[in-house]
Amino acid sequence: MNSNFQTADAMTDSNTNVQTIRDGQTVHGVVAEFSDVDSLLAACRKVRDAGYTKADAFTPFPVHHIDEALGIKPTVLPWIALAAGLTGTTIALVMQIWMNGIDYQYIISGKPYISLPAFIPVTFELTILLASFGTFFGMWALNGLPKFSNPMFTSPRFDRATDDTFFLYLNAKDSQFEEAGAKAFLDELGGQHVEPVLDDDSSTTIPKGLLIGLAATIALSFIPALVVARMRVTKSTSPRFHIFPDMDFSPAKDAQQTTTLFVDGRSSRPDVPGTVSRGEFDWDLDFQTGIDMEQLAVTDSRSAERLVAWMQSDTETSEEDGDPAASDASGSPEEAMVDKTPWLTENPVEISASVLSKGQQQFNIYCSVCHGVNGRGNGLVNRRAQDILATTWTPPSNMHDATLHEDVYPDGKLFSTITNGIRKMPGYAGQIKTRDRWAIVAYVRALQASQDASLADVPAEQRAAIEAEQNEVEAELEAAAAAAEAALDEADADESEN
Amino acid sequence: MSLALSNGLDNTVERPGQRAPLVLGDSTYHSITEAVCKIAEQPPSRAWVIGFLVAVHLATMLGLCIAYLIYTGVGVWGNRAPIFWGWPIVNFVFWVGIGHAGTLISAILYLFRQEWRTSINRTAEAMTIFAVVCAGTFPGIHVGRAWLAFWLAPYPSLNLWMWPQFRSPLLWDVFAVSTYATVSLLFWYMGMVPDLATFRDRSKNPFRRAAYGVLALGWSGSSRHWMRYEKAYALLAAFAAPLVLSVHTIVSFDFAVSQVPGWHTTIFPPYFVAGAIFSGFAMVITLMVPARTIFNIEKLITIRHLENMCKIILTTGMIVGLAYGTEFFIAWYGQVPEEKFAFINRAFGPYWWAYWTMISCNVISPNIFWFKKARTTPWIMLVVSIFVNIGMWFERFVITITSLSRDYLPSAWAYFSPTWVDWCMLIGSFGLFFTLFLLFCRLMPIINMAETKATLAKELHMAHGAGHDGGH
Repeated sequence: MNSNFQTADAMTDSNTNVQTIRDGQTVHGVVAEFSDVDSLLAACRKVRDAGYTKADAFTPFPVHHIDEALGIKPTVLPWIALAAGLTGTTIALVMQIWMNGIDYQYIISGKPYISLPAFIPVTFELTILLASFGTFFGMWALNGLPKFSNPMFTSPRFDRATDDTFFLYLNAKDSQFEEAGAKAFLDELGGQHVEPVLDDDSSTTIPKGLLIGLAATIALSFIPALVVARMRVTKSTSPRFHIFPDMDFSPAKDAQQTTTLFVDGRSSRPDVPGTVSRGEFDWDLDFQTGIDMEQLAVTDSRSAERLVAWMQSDTETSEEDGDPAASDASGSPEEAMVDKTPWLTENPVEISASVLSKGQQQFNIYCSVCHGVNGRGNGLVNRRAQDILATTWTPPSNMHDATLHEDVYPDGKLFSTITNGIRKMPGYAGQIKTRDRWAIVAYVRALQASQDASLADVPAEQRAAIEAEQNEVEAELEAAAAAAEAALDEADADESEN
Repeated sequence: MSLALSNGLDNTVERPGQRAPLVLGDSTYHSITEAVCKIAEQPPSRAWVIGFLVAVHLATMLGLCIAYLIYTGVGVWGNRAPIFWGWPIVNFVFWVGIGHAGTLISAILYLFRQEWRTSINRTAEAMTIFAVVCAGTFPGIHVGRAWLAFWLAPYPSLNLWMWPQFRSPLLWDVFAVSTYATVSLLFWYMGMVPDLATFRDRSKNPFRRAAYGVLALGWSGSSRHWMRYEKAYALLAAFAAPLVLSVHTIVSFDFAVSQVPGWHTTIFPPYFVAGAIFSGFAMVITLMVPARTIFNIEKLITIRHLENMCKIILTTGMIVGLAYGTEFFIAWYGQVPEEKFAFINRAFGPYWWAYWTMISCNVISPNIFWFKKARTTPWIMLVVSIFVNIGMWFERFVITITSLSRDYLPSAWAYFSPTWVDWCMLIGSFGLFFTLFLLFCRLMPIINMAETKATLAKELHMAHGAGHDGGH
């Protein structure tokens, strides 16, 4: 014969391991060895034909046609795979439709909430995944594996079942099984080393060390979970324990915080020597306060000193602080009624078209919401407040009121009002730049002029044209009045005639 | 029959009416067992020890780089606006691509009854698993806060109060790659169980016997078990075959579904799949050619096996070349200015060197396999396969980097420069791959003994049958 049979033949001679039956041992069946596929298949067919239905062969590789030779029925495994696969399909579709289509809806890349085409990939993957799980675990379950104790393994000869030897096994559970007969039958079929398969009588107790080790491992594995559970139910005054910082702590310093980076320990840094910050050139008390400081020093030196000290301490004016000049200009209540503050009467910013348009823009952004675009005090906020009958609301001033005209309400005072606020109106120093507040003052004056100007305010060269237009309008009005009078007279005449 | 299997036969010669043998020499069932088991039973060779030490050190370097990255933040990479997908994604796509050959050999060649797969499929499957391990590492750490990567899973979160976005290809990718990894692992492990039982039954050392015994799940070789096992194997092959094609299709969706010029093309899925098979087979050759010599298994992994893989490399290399050409044609034919610019910029822009490296390695170098001499000479195969691996890495580099560095906003354009962390992670990923592979070579059956024995049985049967005028 050929070379691959030699090892099996050689083994036949070294007949060393013959099992002996001890008392009380169950005989599970009888096994015989075959050295090649063809003789195994021939023997299997004879076993099947003899009526054995539970016989089995053990081979180192899958032998073709052996299921037919032994009469093994086809497996239900494909149906398990199908069921598992369909489960995967269903889970995937339900999951995606529920999660993206119903429970947490949001529109993305113009797709509908339930967009089946976009759900195909995950559905496909889960179908395959579950079908594969069904196949893999189903196969092991149907095979009854893992199963580490098997009577077949008691014979050391059986180790060759996974190498090069083929075993044919007659199961004692077959109705016609009878040990001596089965052995004779296998001998007759050409089987070598016909042996009974006996109970595995090796110890079944698990070593104590292994058990203790396992128990200890299981016990220890609970510790982290218990620690977490305890931490979740107890309160602690120490800060949260951060395993990963998650950008919770910014390395950047907030204002007023200390730092070790600089000798003075301040995190807010002063200007670098020799540099000028934006707007610093506007640093002029008259310009900042709207008050003629020289005059104030003469009339009320105490207030002037306080104002200077206050302005120098903090360039930012805030609502709470207020302007001491506005409130504490004088001592007694009666005197307070009379404003003695030497307000600047002229806008320190040079008026030009660009300043006015800047003022208009800023006015429309910040002022018009209350004062109205035309300054009549009928802005949206005011109208809304009137609509809802807001009891705490103080209506905003009408810019065209005579009390706000330049002669009684100087530019400096108007500027100060914008800066520090009045009654319900908050100060806008924090929102509008100083220069822009002056531009608003200029624009308010222009607004007032647009509504309350006299002919004298119009430049001389344009005055003639306005006079001519006025004369024309007056002439028309006179003519109309004359015509109306004439018509009235005529009607009277008709009446008297009648 | 011993004539047909005589030693030294050239099994790359096609003889009409006769199948070329796939198991050479005076092989017997037992000699196959001996050849494969010896690899794991003998003390490791000097070459293995040196290779393993190098690989372990590189893998450790990867681990340290990942620790540094997590501790410091993703700024340690070269990823800068507008190139937010730098080398991590290049490496991810590269390794996923490598991971395609294993399941392709196992599943698709199995379904097509290509019996030459039997002696190489185990190694190829192991390679797949290890490549997917390397691949999975990169997107895991690329998400930035790697410790929150589990947010990708659709679980009811009490912190987020929301669900994943199932209309995004990035999420499809999570499902595709994790499913592929899982199914490949099941397929690989299931295929190994009978061979692990062989290891178990040969083990003298009780600890070794117990360890392999647990892994072998009590496999006995029962014909009833084999019947269900073979059915399960066929089913898994049938499920894995479309899965192989779907994985790189979905990886390509990461690019193709976006609107970046040079990415937004419908050719990407087939082009990526062909490229993946191309690179995967190249990696199998890179591993097999030295392994068959070192482990002395030339009779099982024959020149015919290698030649078949060379033919697949030649074919898929031509498909990839055609895809490169088609991209240019469509960019011109589509007349979208950004697309046209993107492709001209790829070939002649600042990354011209990467593009032409890719073309030389992927399109030009495999053409040597038109010559039978090259297809049957192991060292030529090894050189070409390494070229192909380099070329395929550059293909992913070209696609990812050139398109992102020239997006729709010219003021944002930039040139990508990798950092030392990028380099160490790329090299370290090879370390991880080879560590796992070398451990596999030492501890696991690297050739599917059961299937190879079945192939031998068939060859014996055919030779026997021919000698007896048709057999039974």
